[in-house]
Amino acid sequence: MRTAALALGVFAFGLGAAGSAKAEGKLQEVLKRGKLIVGTGSTNPPWEFKDASGNLVGYDIDIARLIAKGLFNDPSKVEFVVQASDARIPNITTDKVDITCQAMTVTAQRAQQVAFTIPYYREGVGLLEPKNSKYADYAALKAAGSKVTISVLQNVYAEQMVHQALPEAKVDQYDSFDLIYQAVNSGRADAAATDMSALRWYLKQNPGKYTDAGYGWNPQTYSCAVKQGDADWLQYVNTALREAMTGVDFEDYKKSFETWFGETPPEPKIGFPSEMR
Amino acid sequence: MDASFFDELWMARSALASGLFCTIGVSAAAITAGSLLGLLIGVSLAEGPKPLKLACRIYVDVLRGTPVLVLVLAAFYLPAVFRLNLDALTSGILALTLFCGAHVGEIVRGALQSIPPGQIEAGRSIGLTYPKILVYVLLPQALRSILPTWINTGVELVKASTLLSVIGVGDFLLKVQEIIGRTFMSLDFYVLAGCFYLAVNFAVERLGKAVERRLAH
Repeated sequence: MRTAALALGVFAFGLGAAGSAKAEGKLQEVLKRGKLIVGTGSTNPPWEFKDASGNLVGYDIDIARLIAKGLFNDPSKVEFVVQASDARIPNITTDKVDITCQAMTVTAQRAQQVAFTIPYYREGVGLLEPKNSKYADYAALKAAGSKVTISVLQNVYAEQMVHQALPEAKVDQYDSFDLIYQAVNSGRADAAATDMSALRWYLKQNPGKYTDAGYGWNPQTYSCAVKQGDADWLQYVNTALREAMTGVDFEDYKKSFETWFGETPPEPKIGFPSEMR
Repeated sequence: MDASFFDELWMARSALASGLFCTIGVSAAAITAGSLLGLLIGVSLAEGPKPLKLACRIYVDVLRGTPVLVLVLAAFYLPAVFRLNLDALTSGILALTLFCGAHVGEIVRGALQSIPPGQIEAGRSIGLTYPKILVYVLLPQALRSILPTWINTGVELVKASTLLSVIGVGDFLLKVQEIIGRTFMSLDFYVLAGCFYLAVNFAVERLGKAVERRLAH
């Protein structure tokens, strides 16, 4: 996959300049076309994945529908383009998609190639424990020091990442998500370290079996991304996202947040706008 | 593998079927088109005029020297520079066809050149035109040495089709990954994927062997 990322990076860089001559803005183009084209994945719950009947669902899918609802007063007028996460940036720079909503971490490097929208989620890493664990919470896990084993998805930074929260814990790395949970189930690991969103989703999928140890770290911001150089389009998407999270579309947003994260987002306050504080 | 695996398998049957159909369809299209292209390339390489020979040689060497993944990405992104927006499936088939064409081209050239030149001269002496020599004299003999390596290329192509999931073609592997995303049963479903690819490629190989046997007589 590193080769893929590299090759895509080169394409994206080379093509960014080529595809910029445009008579009118993206907003008008999308409105005229009558549907929004959204780049996303299909293998990453609870963000974007196929449900048992084969429909693309998830939090990012709902976000895309909210943006479409603002455009056409019809959340179904979206065409989803399934793409690998490596394809997120090239598909924007080559106009294959109008916008990408795919659990995309905001980084300063990426912001040089695409325009990020306002953030719609704060990702972090959390600890999943079995309900009957002898370590009640994060404090107990930390106090147990090197007696604790943590399972985590294999990654160059996995060990370092776990040690940020539990400096002495033993770290077992596994190849796939099911295996890190399997390690917890079989007692080979005391807790699994995984993305907060994935953790919440897994908790919701298996009610009563696990708990969240109650500590999150390694913060990351998730945003959608659009092509650079089209202020009106970015402004439109930002407005749609902000009003979903704090304004007239909050009910839709809240329902989606509860569905995918099993949590209720804070009610927007009435009176002085929070973003002005 | 436990009972819940079979439940999930049953639930995912239509997704898996569509993925399998996609993998087989894409591979069949690319092998068919790529073999026709390769036949033209191979004949040009063996017997074509100099400029054509040179052009074909560049094509074959560039395509064979490029990883399939890069071809797939190039077919998807390069046309976009010229405002030609190919969808993922078209770009994918295009990339695999070009890849297959280059390999088959080289196979055909090798087979044609292994036939003693005396046969072409003999054909010419009894008044056959070159196309006729090709159809009646050269290709029937070349086919025998083409077949085994051609089948090999076909098998490679089926495997290479998994790379199309990078640009979002819903091939069998992507469908399997989608099911894993939902069920977290990665080991079970990757084993299943392995078995399917083995079965498909085994079928391709048997088919090839059967054709080979018929041609042997």
